[in-house]
Amino acid sequence: MLERELSVINRLGLHARASAKLVQLLGGFKSNAFLIGRGREVNAKSIMGVMLLAAAQGSTVLLRVDGPDEEAAMEAAASLFARYFDEGD
Amino acid sequence: MRLLLHGLPASRGLALGRAHVREPQMREVREERIPTGAAEAEIERLHAAIETARGELMRMREQVQGALAHELGEFLDMHQLILDDPELVLSLDDLIRTALYSADYALKLQRDRLVAIFDAIDDPYMRSRREDVEHVIGRVWAALHRSPVSLTPGIAGEVLVCDTIAPAELSQLTERGVVAVITGAGSALSHSAILARSLHLPLLVGAHDAVAQINDGDALLVDGHSGEIIIEPDADDLRRFKRMQRETVRERRSLHKLRDAGSVSRDGVEIRLLANAESREDVAHAYALGAAGIGLYRTEFLFMQGTEVPTEEAQLLVYRDLVMGMRGRPVTLRTLDLGADKADRAGIALSDEPNPALGLRGVRLSLSLPGLFRSQLRAMLRASAYGKVNILVPMVGFREELERVRALIASCKTELQAEGQAVAAKVAVGVMIEVPAAALALGSVARKADFLSIGTNDLVQYLLAIDRSNDAVASHSSPLHPAVLRVLREVLNYGQRRGLPTSICGEMAGDPEHTRLLLALGLTEFSLHPNNLLEVRKIVRESDLGALRQKRGRLLRAVDRAGIEAALKAL
Repeated sequence: MLERELSVINRLGLHARASAKLVQLLGGFKSNAFLIGRGREVNAKSIMGVMLLAAAQGSTVLLRVDGPDEEAAMEAAASLFARYFDEGD
Repeated sequence: MRLLLHGLPASRGLALGRAHVREPQMREVREERIPTGAAEAEIERLHAAIETARGELMRMREQVQGALAHELGEFLDMHQLILDDPELVLSLDDLIRTALYSADYALKLQRDRLVAIFDAIDDPYMRSRREDVEHVIGRVWAALHRSPVSLTPGIAGEVLVCDTIAPAELSQLTERGVVAVITGAGSALSHSAILARSLHLPLLVGAHDAVAQINDGDALLVDGHSGEIIIEPDADDLRRFKRMQRETVRERRSLHKLRDAGSVSRDGVEIRLLANAESREDVAHAYALGAAGIGLYRTEFLFMQGTEVPTEEAQLLVYRDLVMGMRGRPVTLRTLDLGADKADRAGIALSDEPNPALGLRGVRLSLSLPGLFRSQLRAMLRASAYGKVNILVPMVGFREELERVRALIASCKTELQAEGQAVAAKVAVGVMIEVPAAALALGSVARKADFLSIGTNDLVQYLLAIDRSNDAVASHSSPLHPAVLRVLREVLNYGQRRGLPTSICGEMAGDPEHTRLLLALGLTEFSLHPNNLLEVRKIVRESDLGALRQKRGRLLRAVDRAGIEAALKAL
């Protein structure tokens, strides 16, 4: 099991489009994934779960992945956050 | 008794029809339990319905084409993700298995729970995603009852009154003859509203009392312009409606007459109206409406359809049909403009660029794939043997880019001639003016071109630094900005001085609200969607160019959108 704190740096935060990208990305891995933020834990492979977390710019979430390809999944997710969800800013 | 309600106008138009009220489906579902041991069968029934819903979404995804494809596609993808959401599916299974609820009731509980959570979100944009969840659950519910959401019988000539409406449903309803739609919820910025406008279907949203106040069978008069809904209109209302309807019919008829009329202004200046096209239907339509030619043929659609890159021969057939279909009228073929928001399924464009709008797109992508680019240029040159062909190059920002394209074209031409293929003696090569650098340093890029085509969609996006598909900022995306008008004026001026044919091919060119503005700025070539051609032609014929151009000083001096709008009114 891996855990890492990720900062939401894109301007719009984890809004619908960014949530969709994260869920689609993690859906490609076998490992289970959870996002923990603001005292809530949601399934990171669930579009509604991630949207409902509604993490805004500047907030930090904890990503927990657990499974056979956890390292690759964590790397891919961390890179998506760091790339501003490919939104430019 | 006559009663007046109000909604927010989301799509214009006037309609009179019998009310067809659709109660929110879920609200009526009662608590219902199934016998012990029936759970697995009930879960299976639910999953079959989810499968049906998934199939419907996929079919719609394949069917959406044209200008709305990008917007609607993204929205359908979101619905697909919600449908595949493990939280949604697993909790439904749980509700059926442990509490022995029927699939219907489990869906209702799940919907209520999700809606309550979404309603509690502070961010208004995220809160409005609640509609997406409701549409998806509604679709599954309808599949469970084998009644496809929109297939309400006998809806022709009726006004649908409902809580919310999904975009995909709107287009099906229009086909079935619905005359207007009123929703209790929703916003004028929704996907449904955008679609209703392009379908010319009057739509009022946010009419909170509508579902409660209107009964099935009420006569309704809907004004998509003012937002008024009149229940049981009286004699005066009906007279007013008839008068407005006659005016609309007359207007349409006079538009129809314009098919064979020229696009000449009142003071005798000929304006060239060209068509934007991406399909064979568009081309036939454009020809029938008397378009002066095809001003923009987007070749990327050829590349977006299949999973393989089309060969030179396959491209030749398409371009040749197009050229022959216009029977001698000029056709401008734009080289591949993939990238940014347009991805292909053959894997040509990069999909993981951090900033695609500023990345490897348009001519940059083509120049990075010389083999592919050559095959496209060869196909275009070969098509030139069948009629007048111009080649248009997108996203040019550097003089060298155009020089390299010209060199490639020259070498393809020599190669084809050596192979004994027929190629027209003269194929004009033009550039899209959409990168601000090209628009500002005209002597650098435009000087090397045979003609110019201003792509206002991207030009506005880059000048204002606004992505119009981003809901958070889209409301500021308008060409009515002093910087945009100034750049347009400069480019048109340059074209005129140098004798370079200059057209505008962005959406702005097809918007009748902007026709007089563009005429005043000196535009004489419009390239627009065939659907807008007659309306723009009508405005051209009614306009006095000399008078319009005299007033352009005020337009160019305006310092903000309000000032420009005021100057426009005075035109």
